[in-house]
Amino acid sequence: MAADRASEPTPILSIDKLEVSLFTRRGVLPAVDGLSLTVAAGETVAIVGESGCGKSLAALAVMRLLPEPPAKIVGGAVRFMGRDLASLSDREMQRVRGKDISMIFQDPMTSLNPVVTVGDQLIEAIRRHTHVSRKEAGDRAIELLRQVRIPDAERRLDDYPHQMSGGMSQRVMIAMAIACGPQLLIADEPTTALDVTVQAQILGLLKELQASSGMGLIIITHDLGVVAETADRVVVMYAGRKVEEARVGALFERPLHPYTRGLLGATPSAVRRRGGRLVEIAGSVPALSDLPMGCAFQNRCPDAFDRCRGGRPALASLLPQQSAACFAAEVELSRNVAAVGT
Amino acid sequence: MLTLAVDFVRRFARNRAALVGFVLVIAVVGIALSAPWLFPRSPLRIVGRPEIWPFTTSRFPLGTDSLGRDIAAMIAYGARTTLLIGLCASLTATIIGISIGAIAAYFGGWVDELLMRLTELFQTIPNLIFVLTIVSILGQKIEYVTIAVGIVTWTPIARLTRAEFMSLRDREFVQACRSMGMGNLRIMFGEILPNALPPVIVLSSLVIAGAVLFESAVSFLGLGDPNVSSWGRLIGDGRTLIRSSWYICAVPGMAIMLTVLALNLVGDGLNDALNPKLRDR
Repeated sequence: MAADRASEPTPILSIDKLEVSLFTRRGVLPAVDGLSLTVAAGETVAIVGESGCGKSLAALAVMRLLPEPPAKIVGGAVRFMGRDLASLSDREMQRVRGKDISMIFQDPMTSLNPVVTVGDQLIEAIRRHTHVSRKEAGDRAIELLRQVRIPDAERRLDDYPHQMSGGMSQRVMIAMAIACGPQLLIADEPTTALDVTVQAQILGLLKELQASSGMGLIIITHDLGVVAETADRVVVMYAGRKVEEARVGALFERPLHPYTRGLLGATPSAVRRRGGRLVEIAGSVPALSDLPMGCAFQNRCPDAFDRCRGGRPALASLLPQQSAACFAAEVELSRNVAAVGT
Repeated sequence: MLTLAVDFVRRFARNRAALVGFVLVIAVVGIALSAPWLFPRSPLRIVGRPEIWPFTTSRFPLGTDSLGRDIAAMIAYGARTTLLIGLCASLTATIIGISIGAIAAYFGGWVDELLMRLTELFQTIPNLIFVLTIVSILGQKIEYVTIAVGIVTWTPIARLTRAEFMSLRDREFVQACRSMGMGNLRIMFGEILPNALPPVIVLSSLVIAGAVLFESAVSFLGLGDPNVSSWGRLIGDGRTLIRSSWYICAVPGMAIMLTVLALNLVGDGLNDALNPKLRDR
């Protein structure tokens, strides 16, 4: 185990027991509850979960861009390249954003300033963190647009965002995000607002840029197709907590948590047997204000038993490089081990 | 950029009334600028017999007032004062209004509360009395009149800017700008303001018209700058003779009315040209 750990590359980002709470009129709601996560250079980590499970808030917490109020970091630490981001002053944090850690958002059409040309926005992104002349920044902007495969880059500089398609705009957003060579890129649902064909292109582009620069990549999504296509490691979140973490192959092969199994069952797949029906997860995500006692997933879980109502399962390493927070999975696996033992 | 400008002119010109207003404003500006050449001597000098009616002698096309000063010259020079005060007061009001509205909406919370209560406080003070108070405290100079008018007219601009900023503040592009490491000031004035500006410009152009009226009122009451000619002052000076020589009041009155009307028409035209909701109608 010790040797195993030593062989792993040192993470560029490590989130340790992060807690984000929403301070609302109905009380303090734990939106992100004890999330731990590491990302190494060149690695892609996917955070998966239904809407409202806290994945975007976790990303915004890393950037220190939480909408305050109501959201606030109440515990845990975020370390980037060994530095505790919470201890940085606002000015220092501004230098980290865009330069060391960049972010792209869900809807590219609204993520660009509608009254500023694409070129000016790119130049602004470049000059924010590097001291170059406007002219040099302009050249670099053209180069970036070529890098994200925008044809006719010189002419496109003078375009306004409304003159571009969704896929084009997302390419521009990516160009802006990588303008200063960040070590970590957080993509919050980068393809949700795009056509399926464009989705694949954008994901391909992200992977390609990652391969050439060696940056870490966090992809936040609810689409397991995106996960399968891009991720090395997957973190599954439910109601603010990490319920399962595994390498992408293991997760698809052997999901431990019933929620993960539910997500996989609810995803259409080309290789599924003909006539196989998509299985939905019964019920819906409970509101943070009335989470059930015990495991948050119990009232939707096919495997729930008495213990699940008593206490919350902690995340446990159940298989090598795969952990889950589920009593049923624990019981199941120990039964298997016992069966092998006899 | 050029196509945008052409587009703007096309939309503005589609409003005929706005075009008429624009021509009128240009005419007033032209008269104001050429006053020193048209009337090389000070307009406050007595140049002829008092109370010559307009259109009776070619030397004084608009007649003379009760002291024998050339009304045409006073109108031309008065246009300078009136327009200058109108423009500067509107600029002052716009700067104050945008700053307060933007800061209130962007930071929200207690900052917003404080600034909005302040705005309401200013709104409850009777405008003209406030202007007169400031002018009588600071002194009867053209700069102080400008500042005073600016101080009473910024409130609607602040409220409009705040409303625009509120809707823009939570847009994704603002979030994206933050994630690029931009600071608050840069985001407020470099990124959000250009989006919020069109309706504010429209309102500012209407504030110019309001400022012209304020200046006239102040001068009419004799609290204007005694060393410059102004339309309001001309009316004020002429009011004692309103039964016999009513033209002394009527001529500058017409000038004020036409200018304010023209400025309002231009404001409407700007609204048509800049308001995205009215585009392509």
